[in-house]
Amino acid sequence: MATEGPTSSASDRGYKLTELMAICATREIRDGEIAFIGTGLPMLGGMLAKYTTAPNCTMIFESGVVDARPKRTPLSIGDACLVPGSVMLGGLTEVFGLLMQPGYVDVGFIGAAQIDEYGNLNTTVIGDYTNPKVRLPGSGGANDIASLAKRFIVMMTQDKRKFVEKLDYLTSPGYLDGPGGRERAGLPRGGPSAVITDLGLYRFDPQTKEMYLESYHPGLSVDDIKANVSWDIRIAPKVKVTKAPTKRELRVLRTKCDPEGVFLGK
Amino acid sequence: MPEPEVHDKLMPLAEAVRKFIPDGCRLRSSGIALRKPMAFIYEVMRQRKRDLTFLMSGWTEDADFLIGGGCVDRLEGSYLGLEAFGLAYCYRRAVEKGIPRKIAIEEYSNFGMTMRFMAAAMGVPFMPIRSNLGSDLVRVEAFRHPKALVVDDPFGSGDKVALLPACPADVALLHAQRCDEEGNAQVWGQIGDDLWGTYAGKKIVLGVEEIVPTKTIRKDPNRTLVPGFRVDAIVHVPFGSHPYQVQGYYDIDVPFRKEYSERSVTLEGWQAWAEEWVYGLDGHEAYLRKLGEDRLNRLRAKRMMSGQVNYGY
Repeated sequence: MATEGPTSSASDRGYKLTELMAICATREIRDGEIAFIGTGLPMLGGMLAKYTTAPNCTMIFESGVVDARPKRTPLSIGDACLVPGSVMLGGLTEVFGLLMQPGYVDVGFIGAAQIDEYGNLNTTVIGDYTNPKVRLPGSGGANDIASLAKRFIVMMTQDKRKFVEKLDYLTSPGYLDGPGGRERAGLPRGGPSAVITDLGLYRFDPQTKEMYLESYHPGLSVDDIKANVSWDIRIAPKVKVTKAPTKRELRVLRTKCDPEGVFLGK
Repeated sequence: MPEPEVHDKLMPLAEAVRKFIPDGCRLRSSGIALRKPMAFIYEVMRQRKRDLTFLMSGWTEDADFLIGGGCVDRLEGSYLGLEAFGLAYCYRRAVEKGIPRKIAIEEYSNFGMTMRFMAAAMGVPFMPIRSNLGSDLVRVEAFRHPKALVVDDPFGSGDKVALLPACPADVALLHAQRCDEEGNAQVWGQIGDDLWGTYAGKKIVLGVEEIVPTKTIRKDPNRTLVPGFRVDAIVHVPFGSHPYQVQGYYDIDVPFRKEYSERSVTLEGWQAWAEEWVYGLDGHEAYLRKLGEDRLNRLRAKRMMSGQVNYGY
């Protein structure tokens, strides 16, 4: 989480920022969609969507599960609790090769350590590649989701060192160098449609492909956002405050999706 | 008729590692986030193997242990972290500071690695994918040149593809639920990249929870991942994937993984952990004794039996 910024405490607000982020993820999934879900908050977002606004969405997991109905909070994309009650089990080839590469996955979720104004992502290194300050886990399936899903959503914590002008390594493609970038690279479709952080919700201009602020979270201001982006970020003319979680969203999230606070925190 | 040699495949863990995992070999792990061949990993550390090239789509503790133990020279893969438990600190120390030694990683994506294993498994030199295009994954090389080639479809569709080179392994480790004495191995639950990755091994070494009569396998052949004639060695290692899960056998040991993630942050902490859980124990049985019956019993899986199908005709 960003350390600066006058974020009010969880008790004032009545919810945690991780909860708001998971709920923002839920709101990005439309009913009936095929959603590719990664470890952590996206899982909670997907589960909450199934319980509330998108009961007919299908959750697909990287290590091979199709239409998972987990009875507990999965600890990873490979958690065995995803298996009972699913409709199909395969592996990476089935999920990436047969479902995602030909274009059958509507939306995917990715985390990142750095993002730039075109939504390109770094999860590989901080600093020089050959002599890094911090070695991060690498792509995993992130590059494949960013390359092949019809659209993807980024979920990350935000500060100036994470919202950067230039990535230290381009792990996963956003709009690359701007309009036409993905097409020139040969990517078949897709691109980022939203970025959900602990400070706000961002979208991308359909023409310029630049990121802009759609809404900032309750208790914050546009200045808080600007202080945590290292380029001069555009602000939507009708910028809003992010809709606070409803009682029902919070109840289902806390009681059914992550009762032990694995990803939401205790 | 000469006596078939199938029973020779069954051997103790230490012997399998001595015989099949020489220093400097290309070694593949198994299981994305579950069914990892952990008993083998601990034994490779105890035998102080060196200069391994370690291969996998998604690693977690398996790679971090081997890197901490100084067994690994090179990695080809896509992800190395402890998932919900945080970053992999032996990996960080090796890449950032050369402790205990400098390592090199050639990185791909999960789908990319799976397709590389598929190419090796099928005996073709490369596979095309439509992922990875425009990213540093096709540009930044460590020790393979070229690591990937972006080309236009030679048949003229106008599409671009990335060609990724086959990723063969000298030895593929597979932790399976069960096999018979010939090594016909059955796996259920999520398959990850284990189908292609296992067949990418010139040699295949199995660790299994149970060895069952061959008629058990033959009653449900759809569940077999690899036939016995491709398998070179079988090691019977109950709880051999601990602290990971094996569907139908046991659950993830969360406190164990959490403790590792905390103790491995410092070099001294890691060394103490490795002495306690690896080097100070003389094998898998000692590891299980240290974990204790109660802890293992708490991890045992509930019964959720599959339905049955009619194989009749």
